[in-house]
Amino acid sequence: MIVSVERLTKTFGTFKAVDDITFSLQPGEIVGLVGPNGAGKTTTIHMMLGLISPSAGTIRIFGKEVEKDREDVLQRLNFTSPYMAFPMRLTVLENLAVYARIYKVPDPLARITGLLERFGIGHLKNKPVSRLSSGENTRVALCKGFLNDPELLLLDEPSAYLDPQAAIQVREILLGLQRLRGTTIVYASHNMREVQRACNRVIFLNHGRIIASGTAIEVTREILRENREVPALEEVFVHIAQRRRHEVISH
Amino acid sequence: MKSYRIRAVILRHLYEMRRNPSHLTNMIYWPVMNIVVWGFFTIYLAHRGTSGIVSSLLAAVILWGLFNSFQRDMAVGFLDELWSRNLVNLFASPLSIGEYVTALMSVNLIKASVGMVLEALIAWFCYHYNIFPMALAFVPFIFNLVLFGLAVGVAVTGLIFRYTTKFQVLAWGFAGLLMPLSCVFYPLRSLPRLLAPLAWILPTTHCFEGMRQAIAGGGFSMVHFQWGIGLNVAYFILAALFFRWMYESARSRGLLVKME
Repeated sequence: MIVSVERLTKTFGTFKAVDDITFSLQPGEIVGLVGPNGAGKTTTIHMMLGLISPSAGTIRIFGKEVEKDREDVLQRLNFTSPYMAFPMRLTVLENLAVYARIYKVPDPLARITGLLERFGIGHLKNKPVSRLSSGENTRVALCKGFLNDPELLLLDEPSAYLDPQAAIQVREILLGLQRLRGTTIVYASHNMREVQRACNRVIFLNHGRIIASGTAIEVTREILRENREVPALEEVFVHIAQRRRHEVISH
Repeated sequence: MKSYRIRAVILRHLYEMRRNPSHLTNMIYWPVMNIVVWGFFTIYLAHRGTSGIVSSLLAAVILWGLFNSFQRDMAVGFLDELWSRNLVNLFASPLSIGEYVTALMSVNLIKASVGMVLEALIAWFCYHYNIFPMALAFVPFIFNLVLFGLAVGVAVTGLIFRYTTKFQVLAWGFAGLLMPLSCVFYPLRSLPRLLAPLAWILPTTHCFEGMRQAIAGGGFSMVHFQWGIGLNVAYFILAALFFRWMYESARSRGLLVKME
């Protein structure tokens, strides 16, 4: 087991962002962490990275507790999110070189060049980050995510700023790299089509709780309470979002 | 602590220095302007027959510049990460907070030293004040100034961690707050009696008192050095504990991922 999350809870004042969730990840799995805004996806990922301390519960990654063995754990995983950035004045190569050193990547230049080519941005390596488009920035962040050849990759909205064609292209690259290295991936996204295509398993969160977990078809059947033949995560998402809206109105 | 991770953060700031003119401004332009203005003032004083205080004045300008830039650049280095939204990238990596602070300290030691040497050279060539023969007597006090600058920088960075940019003004303003009580340009005895005890518990006061004694030919002041180092050890421990508290508080409130 690569990840074991047990009874994880996070409260901010009186608000429960994550409410007593338990799940585990097996090596090589691609698991979608989905749910509407405020469901607790990003907070869960941030707790797995040690960026937010849990109010209760434990997170064990590679058999180690994140709170106690932070450095050992983080050396073997990586994380990308389009909502964070790199120092703007530094070039793509300089930024990635800094992270290659932090992760002690052997032969960093070859590794960086290889990843930039793979994500189709090799020609941008000497450009300052400030002059990149949002989509190009996302690709640079994904290159950073693969720099240390991680055993576990946490992706928060990896296709947020990508046009549909680029999103498909990036997803194929991600899956190609995952097949090659056997990386375990946690894929937090609102894009249900993408999750359905990329993930072996889905964890559906709402109000900080896991409301369904399993393959896309299992989650569809469990939440919609219908015996569907094909997965319909988009419909599930809309169903949950509408339910939340009704809850807000009735309150 | 892993040296390769410290070197990585140093490299990140060296790249930034190369590409960001405001860093060169802080490192070179302001120290040069500072010594030029004070240099002219000392020429004026010398013409008025008060040449005795000229040496202490220029030495004070140079040493205060070192303290000010060191504590300011500690916080500004951290603000650089915050402004560029790079914090999450850094703290989601295996880089520890200790490694990060050590790297910032090393970069800023280089930057502050460049500024100080530049000021000393200008004072020598333009105003005929050579600080270098006194350098050996000043080293213990310079060490104390750097240590206190580090403690202040760490404490201010802790505040920014917890309260984000609301406290960023302290990066530039905190040294100014300490200046009147630090007896930079005047001896401790010139302060009102009520303020003297407050000045006494600042390591900066002991540095400048010790510096003035050395310039006046009174030799190295062990008393001021010991007071300075003792206070610094206490302040540094307090600053480290405060920083840890602020950092954990920011982590608990989820502020590390929301800083902008």
